[in-house]
Amino acid sequence: MKSVFMTVWLKEMTDALRDKRSLMAAMSYAFFGPIMMAVAFMMVIKDAVSERDVYVHIDGAQYAPALVDFLGDRRIFAGDEENTAREIYLEIPENYEENMESAKPIYITVRSDYSERSDGSYRSRLESALREYNNTIASHRLTLRGISADVISPIRIDKQDTATKEARAAMILGTVMVFVLMAIFFSGMNVAIDGSAGERERNSLEFLLAQPVGTHWLVMAKAAAAGTFALFGAVLSILLIPLVFLFVPLEKLGIDFSMSWIDQAGMILVLIPLAAFASILQLFVSFRAKSFKEAQTYISLVMFIPVAVIFAVEFTRFEHPALEILPVTSQHRVLLATIGGQDVNWLMVLGGAGITLAVTAALVAVVTKMLRSEKVVFGL
Amino acid sequence: MIVTSGLEKAYKDVKALKGLSFQANDGEITGLLGPNGAGKTTCLRSIYGLIHPDTGSAQVDSIDASKAPIDVRKRIGIFPDKFGLQERLSAREHIAYFAGLHGLHGDARKAAVQQVIDDLDMNDIADRRTGGFSQGQRMKVALGQAIVHQPQNLILDEPSRGLDVMSTRILRELLFRLKAQGRCILFSSHVMQEVAALCDRVVIMVAGQVVAEGSPAELCERTGQESFEEAFVQLIGTEEGIML
Repeated sequence: MKSVFMTVWLKEMTDALRDKRSLMAAMSYAFFGPIMMAVAFMMVIKDAVSERDVYVHIDGAQYAPALVDFLGDRRIFAGDEENTAREIYLEIPENYEENMESAKPIYITVRSDYSERSDGSYRSRLESALREYNNTIASHRLTLRGISADVISPIRIDKQDTATKEARAAMILGTVMVFVLMAIFFSGMNVAIDGSAGERERNSLEFLLAQPVGTHWLVMAKAAAAGTFALFGAVLSILLIPLVFLFVPLEKLGIDFSMSWIDQAGMILVLIPLAAFASILQLFVSFRAKSFKEAQTYISLVMFIPVAVIFAVEFTRFEHPALEILPVTSQHRVLLATIGGQDVNWLMVLGGAGITLAVTAALVAVVTKMLRSEKVVFGL
Repeated sequence: MIVTSGLEKAYKDVKALKGLSFQANDGEITGLLGPNGAGKTTCLRSIYGLIHPDTGSAQVDSIDASKAPIDVRKRIGIFPDKFGLQERLSAREHIAYFAGLHGLHGDARKAAVQQVIDDLDMNDIADRRTGGFSQGQRMKVALGQAIVHQPQNLILDEPSRGLDVMSTRILRELLFRLKAQGRCILFSSHVMQEVAALCDRVVIMVAGQVVAEGSPAELCERTGQESFEEAFVQLIGTEEGIML
């Protein structure tokens, strides 16, 4: 019976490889993720590394030339015609000098729309520069009065970052792994639809089911074909990630990124059961649909679930022991641990793979039963 | 040989088959003739084992279709009512695919596929993708995939619909050749002329039951009509509410 499986699988693969729509879908998700992330990182790094000049409105600059110079050292300038100022207003009062000399409080106003998030980092740079100037003046005054400036800062914080370079990379590169997982769910989608709802739309389903072939072999071979595409998409993106990130100066963020061949092979192995699961889930949905379009609608609704799960786990870092062995989340953990350079609990990995495969097998049984039912096949 | 006995099948409130019994013998072309909605397709689906009848049985070479559908399907070739082709495969790949599903492999499969391509005179289109085929070319591929495993029994569901004269002739010649080889051919249609021209025996069914059985000449004689068409109308006309 193995030969029947091969016959159907080979036919589905030939069919899918000749279908530009399926190929494009598989390739585009694989390319799209890593490249988009690389571009995003380049922007972030550029922002974080080079402190850009900030231009703000400064009213009353003439009253406090020393403060303005200090701000200038911190690359905060008054806006002019060439460099338009942001909507941040620094107002220095007329009595600045007078109050400074008599050591009275000076009220400096920073006026801005604080709900405007794009200006947030500039506002905080301005504020921290002002705080710094405040501390400098204060310590000068104390020194003049013969008191050590240490008196007003009893506690010094010594930050020691214990994050390994890999762990810091994992924080950021976790988002890239989200795209690898999504590639699994999207690359094989067209092949799955074409082999199920497409078969029905072409009026070839009934004839296929009337062949002397166990329905379970048909279902498994079709799932395997879609799964091959799903895995192909994920493999492509896993291979692309290190290449794409060669061009991203991650070291400027203190991130050391490396992905060995062994890491990549491990990830691919872990993703095999997930590819099978994703494909049979798609077949389950689209065998119920009457046409390609209908199936696409259903599938995009159903595919929202694993994607939502991936995003939820990635961004909330929600922890629960069950996540270690459930489909999607268990694979997500292995990918994260691998790029984070952490030890992978292989027992859990096997558990996750086992449960994913068990769910897959159950779905194969359900789809087989569906295809043996007159109601589903003929829509009676 | 295909035998159905007392087939009954109901869908919700409609009774599609009401005790259908007939027989199609080896070396004969048997026509299953009936107006639209008579239950022809349901009957054929029971023979493929895709539908389980409520009572009664469909047997192919004495094998019960609902008990051993896979064994039955090995013995039949099917030319379905609606045949969809895999448009990205060539005619040869298409036929080879179904040969593979019937358990043919390697050189045996290649030889079987080539044999069918020669028989149906389709060498000129064999390596083209089926996507742009005309109705007649599509029919050849569908016929090819139905007979590539040399089945003892061939079942055709409304085969000549939408075919031009040349395609109809090819189909007719193929059926006569298979009949001469002693195979059993069951042929469903709602077109009387076609059935009269091709079939040795005709089974006329109306509303899920057989109303008459015999050769076209016998049926004319029995009804006292000159043409088979008149005989057909008279035979089914006794049933209320049946439109042609």
